[in-house]
Order: sequence, then C-alpha cells, then structure tokens
Amino acid sequence: MKKDFWSESNIAVFGGGSFGTVLASLAAKNVGSVSVYMRNEDQARVMNSTRTNPNYSKDVILHERIRALSSFEKVFDLSPKMVIFALPSHATRDVARAAAKYFKGDEIVLHATKGIEEHSLKRISMVLSEELPIVRIGAISGPNLAGELARNEPAATVVASPFDDVIQVGEKVLTTDRFRVYTAHDLVGVEWGGTLKNIFAIASGILESSGFGWNTRSLLLSRGLAEMVRFGLAMGAKSETFLGLSGMGDLIATCSSSQSRNYRVGFQLAKGLPLEQILSELGQVAEGVRTTRIVYEFAMDRGVEMPITETVYRILKGEWSVDRGVKHLMTRPQVQDEWA
Amino acid sequence: MTQVCVFLFYANARIHHHKVMLIDPRTGSHPAVRFDHHPPVKGEIYQLDHRSFRQDVIKEVVERTMKNIIVDNPKQDPRLLLEETLYHERLRMKKARSNWLTSPYIHQRNVNDKAFIRRVQSELKSISGTEDSKRLVKSYIHHFSTEICANFEPEVYNFATRAAPWAFSWLLNAASVNRILPWGMSESLQTRLRVVGHVDHLQKLSKKGTILLVPTHLSNIDSLLIGYVIHLMMLPPFAYGAGLNLFTNPLLSFCLSRLGAYTVDRQKNSTVYKTALKNYSTTLLKRGIHSIFFPAGGRVRSGAIESHLKLGLLGTALEAQLERLKENHPNPNIYIVPMVMNYHFVFEASSLIEDYLAASGKHRYMPADQPEDFFLANMIKFFWKLFSTRSELWVRVGQPMDVFGNFVDEEGRSMGPNGTTIDPKSWLTSNGELVAIPQRDREYTKMLGEKISQRYHAENVALSSHLVAFSFFQALRRQYPSLDLFRFLRLSDSQRIVQQERFYVEAERCYHMIRKAADQGQLHLSDALRCGDVKIWVEDGLRQLGLFHDAKVVKASSGVFTTEDMNLLYYYRNRLTGYGFGKLDEASQKHNFYGETDEKGFLV
Repeated sequence: MKKDFWSESNIAVFGGGSFGTVLASLAAKNVGSVSVYMRNEDQARVMNSTRTNPNYSKDVILHERIRALSSFEKVFDLSPKMVIFALPSHATRDVARAAAKYFKGDEIVLHATKGIEEHSLKRISMVLSEELPIVRIGAISGPNLAGELARNEPAATVVASPFDDVIQVGEKVLTTDRFRVYTAHDLVGVEWGGTLKNIFAIASGILESSGFGWNTRSLLLSRGLAEMVRFGLAMGAKSETFLGLSGMGDLIATCSSSQSRNYRVGFQLAKGLPLEQILSELGQVAEGVRTTRIVYEFAMDRGVEMPITETVYRILKGEWSVDRGVKHLMTRPQVQDEWA
Repeated sequence: MTQVCVFLFYANARIHHHKVMLIDPRTGSHPAVRFDHHPPVKGEIYQLDHRSFRQDVIKEVVERTMKNIIVDNPKQDPRLLLEETLYHERLRMKKARSNWLTSPYIHQRNVNDKAFIRRVQSELKSISGTEDSKRLVKSYIHHFSTEICANFEPEVYNFATRAAPWAFSWLLNAASVNRILPWGMSESLQTRLRVVGHVDHLQKLSKKGTILLVPTHLSNIDSLLIGYVIHLMMLPPFAYGAGLNLFTNPLLSFCLSRLGAYTVDRQKNSTVYKTALKNYSTTLLKRGIHSIFFPAGGRVRSGAIESHLKLGLLGTALEAQLERLKENHPNPNIYIVPMVMNYHFVFEASSLIEDYLAASGKHRYMPADQPEDFFLANMIKFFWKLFSTRSELWVRVGQPMDVFGNFVDEEGRSMGPNGTTIDPKSWLTSNGELVAIPQRDREYTKMLGEKISQRYHAENVALSSHLVAFSFFQALRRQYPSLDLFRFLRLSDSQRIVQQERFYVEAERCYHMIRKAADQGQLHLSDALRCGDVKIWVEDGLRQLGLFHDAKVVKASSGVFTTEDMNLLYYYRNRLTGYGFGKLDEASQKHNFYGETDEKGFLV
C-alpha cells in the first residue's frame, strides 16, 4: 500500500442524516476529502454555506474537508475510493440502483443501516451487492447514538465484512482518538444484531412503562440476547458475534435509551394507546415494528423459538394485553439452553 | 402416434428455446457443434509438444512452489516439510502395493516414487544445514512436477480425432437396431450426443481469452466424452487434470498422457504435492492454455449435482488472471465455463452410491461387496448399450463467467448489475494497487465456487429416466414416511411395490413441480420431458433408466412398479435433488437446497 493512499483519497457518504454526518466527521480526520451526498440541492447548499447540518446538530461546525454534493456526477468526479451508505433500509436499494453506473469497481462500500429489506428479508449488504458492480462490501454497527458521538464522547463500533480488505480500510478511515473500530468477519451476525435489537427495544419500553425494575429488564436483555443468537444461527451467523458491540453492546444502548424510537413505541403501547396513533404521533419510521413482524413470521416458518418476539408481535397487533404477554412469558414451560 | 409425439418434442423444443439458442431440428444439438469430420484446431497447448517449453513449465512450477512454501513462509522449517512429505508418501505407498492387476504405467510411477523416497530419506540423514534441506525440497517439487506435467503430441491428437468418429459410428451402426435401414439412413452420433447451451459463446470467448472448463463429474466416461465434445465444438484441445484411475488402462494411458491430460494423484496428500499441482494449473492458464478440471475433485458419489467444490485448484484461475493483467497481456481474461453432463446410466453407479452411503451412514449402512472397476471392456459395453438402446448423452455448456463468477457477454466483458460492466482489474485493485491479497482472493474464489454450484443446478438437464426414478422413489417413500434413509434402503423385495395408479399420480405431481422449476430457470428439461405426456416420458424413462445394470432400477409389470436395487434407485433419483423437490411436506421459503438432506437423511 502506498503510504499516503487513504490520507489523500476522497470518500463519499450517501445520506445527510445524523449518522451519515457523524461518519463523515469521523472520516474527515483521516482522509483527503469527504463528500456527503444528499438529494436535496438546497439542503446541500445550506450545509456548505453554514458549515452545519441542521439534521444533525446546529452547534457542531463541520470539518473543513467535508463538502455536501447533490448529484452523483459530482460525487464520482472526485473518484471516491470508499462509499458509505447511511440511508434508511427502504431507501438503500433505489439509491444504489441509481448510482450503480458511476462506480468504477475498485471502491470499498460500507453501510450503516440497521434494518433489513422488508419483503425479501435481505440484509442491506445483500441488497447493495445485487445493485452495485461491487462485492467488497461491509457493515458498520454498534452502540453509536449520534448525539453522544457529536459531543465527542468515547465510543466504539464494529466494521464487518468477509474481506480483510474492507475491514482494514474501515478501521483506518473511521478510527479517531475518541472512536475505536473493532473488526469482524461475521457480516451476517453483525447485520442481524443491529436489526434484531429493535424488537427488544420495544419490549424494553413496555417494561419501563409498566414500572418494572432492573431485575425484569435484565431478564429481558439476557433472554432477548438468547433469541438473537438463536435466530442468528438459523441465518448462518456465529453466536460469538452477538456477545460483542454489535450484539449485546447495541442491545444495551438501544434498550436503555429513552431517545430510541422503538423504545418510545413500546412505552406508549403499555400506556394503552393504539399502535396507529403512536406511529402517527411519532412521525418517523420505527424500524422495530416492521422487524418484529418479519422476524416473527420467519421464525415460525423455520421453527426458531422466539417467545419474546412473539409476545411483542401479539401486543403490537393488539391481540394481547401487556399483562397477558408478561403472564405468557413467565409461565412458559421450563426450557434448558446454554444461554440460561 | 410416436412420430406425432417426436414431432411435438421438436416443435416444443423450438418454442421454448428460440430465444436462448437455435435447436437443430434434426439433431437437437447446438448448430455450432459439427459432427462431420473437420481438422483439429490448433491452440496454445501445441507448445507442450516442444521439449524446451515443457522444461520451462516445469521450471516455473518449481520456482512458484518454492516461493509459496519456502520464501513466503519464512517460519516454515524445510526439514519439517520434508519429513511431512515423506510421511504422507510412506503412508500412501503402504496402501499402493502393486499386484499383477496394476497397469504398467502406475507400476512404473510407484517404482519411481519408492526410489525417490529412499533417496530423500538417506540424504535427509546426512544433511544438516537449512540450505541443504531447501535444495532437497526443491528436488522433491521437481520430482512431483515432472510427474504431473503432461505431453501434448499433435500426431496422437490428429489420429484420435480421426479415429473417434470412426469408432463411434462403427459401434453405433453395428449395435443399432436400425441397421437394416436402407443406406443413407444409418444412425450417427449426432442423434445420441446432445451438445446444447452456450456453445457459440464459448467458441467466441476461446479467441478472446483463456477458457477454464469446469464440468460436473459423474463417470470416468466424462473425460473421454469431454475431449471429444471439445473437438466437435471446433475448439483447440484443452489441457486437463485427470485422475490416476483413468491411466490404469494401457491404451487410454498412452493416449491421455499424450493429449495434454496431466495426472492428478488424489492419494498424494502432502502440501508439497498439492501446491505443485496448483502451480501447474496456474502456469498453464497464465500461458493461455485452455484447461479443464473437475472442481468437485472426484466423481460425485451420491449422483446429485455437486454442491461442494474444491476451491484450491479453482483459485488458480484468479491467480493466472492477475498475473496476465500485471504483464499487460492483450487478452488477459480467464473465462470460467461450467458444463453439466447427464446420462441415463452411469456404469460405476453401484460402487459410487455404495461409497456415498458408507461415508454418510457410517454404522447405519451395511456395505455390500461388489467393487466395480473401470476397464476398456466396460467402456465398449457402455457405448454398445448406448447405441443399441437409442439412449442419449446430454452435455450442456453453461453461461461463461469471469474469475469472480460474474457472467461475461459475447465480447468477453464482465457484466455487473443494472447494466454495468466490471473491469476485473478494478476488483483486483486494493488501496490503489493491482496486487494479490491472499485473503481477498480466497473470498473471491469462494464466491466463484458458490456461483459454479448454482450454475450447475441451473444448467442441469432433467432426463425422463431421472424423473421416473424420482417419482417412484417419492411414491414409495410416501408409503413409509417414518423410515429414515438407511431403514428405507433396506426395504425387502415385497415392500418395494407401488401400485400403478399411485405411481402415475406421483409422476404427474413431480412432473408439475419440475416443469414449474424449469419455467423459472432452475433447471432444463430433456426433449422427452418437454413433450409433457406422462405415458410417453414414463415409457421412455423406464426403457432408459440405468439399463447398463443387471438389476432393474424401476420395473413395471402387471399393474405395479417395483425396483430390484434400492441403492441404484436412490442414486439415479438424486440427480433431481438440490432443488427441494424431495421434501415430502410443503416446501419452506428456503431458496437453496444444494446438497441438503432432510431430517431423515434423504437428499432433497
């Protein structure tokens, strides 16, 4: 490797949301320049002139090496050597499809989406490899609440890919003195970890709202982790992955933070509000609601035992009350597994 | 009536395939396959005729292997490596005791190997320095490389390409039931050998880059058939890795070793041998010599389409491509072309399925003792049966791919999603440099392996006999749903009976299943199956299924269907597994069943 290859290269971040801006800011410290692609031309102009991103934090001044661009032509004129997708799960495929023809083939692609494609049950890295002329693809996942990262609090993430190529570059580009990057080959486990934890965030909100204490919440986290592992194994992941930052780590952060949208959905549900009302008041997508249904249906089909997921699913559907759900979980026949 | 249906076969054939390829209405083979005599096409392999070229190749193989195992591995103690090699070799020699049945060729190899082992052992005792050990490793690699390296003699090739059609038509017409037909209507090979699929594409690419043909491997017949099919497709001869078992016959051994077939000795397990073998393949590909090897290793034991491929040898394609790119070669690309062969009978079927069941069943399986071996007599018997029973051989050329498993277009460009083209150079560039990165390249090769296995399934041609075996097996299984594979295979003669009506119900059900799968591009159907009339394809399948064997694989008599050999039945039925057709209950959402078994141990 040429010594200064990455410090002279351009990279692109697709998505000007809060997490995209966080990633751009981290990378800007390590690479030559960072383009943030955002579809809205006005937003890009505002970001370039004010040097702040209102989607992110008005107080944080963007790094001088960051530039917002609103067309693929401009982004790819700079020959980015890495492209990071930081888009919601439902938007990733369309953007990738539209951008495909601009890729040269030697780019490294990472994504930071914690979700799966709804109908196909495909992980985001699979979606990207189906749309882009690229296979060196990886995921960024971990307990990374954007607000805390903006305040430069110490944190860490996992970059996962079957290719050493990808994870080494991810590590090089994203590591700073306040942000550590751990690496993993188990892309399947890392992507599913980030997706599945949203189910338990809803459950955590329900418990909090019901006034239960730490015993109950620890019970949820531990047995939730067991469900994540069981499901992950059925999808071809490795169980160890779920013990790391992208599994347990992210689960704890999401289930404890009242900022999490999924947590808020659970919290309101337990108050007895109907789901439609909660979602419309939230005004944003809570990935966990869709995830719960998709995962529950798949787990039923494959015979994977996921009692907490089932309970959340039935409460979301309005079939069960919270009391009924708690009773169901607490009075199930005893089970023995190595996660007890 | 039959003629009407035959007409329908072809009418159907043309309707279904007019977009993919043009079917020659007379033969069913691809029009670009020439059955009449044509002169051999020259290719890069002709260089192997020159002594100096061979010496060059061997020298390069030795250097590469030394680099791989000594230079790139500074921690490797050459003495330990020698000891390991000797250990493997001694173990192998213990098993490989010659007897009067051993062919002179194999015998000579064993004698040479023994002498070499003795020499190395005695030298190893007297040396001490690392340099000496390295020299000895090098001489060992040289020994292996010389043994692997093939000759190519154009005279033998010219002779073989002339003799093969002559021998085939002689056998064909001698054996044919139609030999009383008037002159001019005699049988020819083209009616029996169906070469279909992406033949044009392969022909075009052979001029734009180097071809690596990766066929499925059912039978020892494959190697001979492929050699001949390559000639029929008007391609230059290919170098190919052939198992030692093919060299047991003196005549075959004489021809093969002069036709560019290099020997792959699967008993030799040492790192040194395996690395030398890989490097031989890389060296040939790098020099633009079209090659063939069977990526699954040996013949498939279960009869199913291969789902697990050996990636070591497969990786040589990427290595060669990278080196050609670095050398700025004008035609740097290596093209991977899968090929699927299908026969109504495989003469080694009993011993193959025996091996499979013994290995997968362990204590659950009771072995029978009936070793079948490969003799010239068997081969003649094979073709005699083939020709006398109007049986067909199907060879399907798959869609060509690059070394990563992307499809390539007719111009040889790799195609990506959404109309993109991929420059292989860009995928081999890391951190701005065109370099080999072992971990990355292994991942690419893993992708290629998965893609090949997927293409094997998609290019498989279901034959009427396979479907008869499959339907009968399913119908019988429905009568004993609780039995696992090994209990099921031990059903007594009186238990192996399926009523005719039940059989036909199952046959219709199975037919609809594979027809639907074929419409979705999951596999192909032979002409007899495309006809669609259950009575006709069942009759055709019954007539052709495993007719080489003494036991009847599926027999229809007085209103019942039965089998005389459960193992063979399982073997032929397995050709349609890997798609999930074998599940007794409703199929789940799973897409990939390659090589999978259900909870009772049956391949699905």
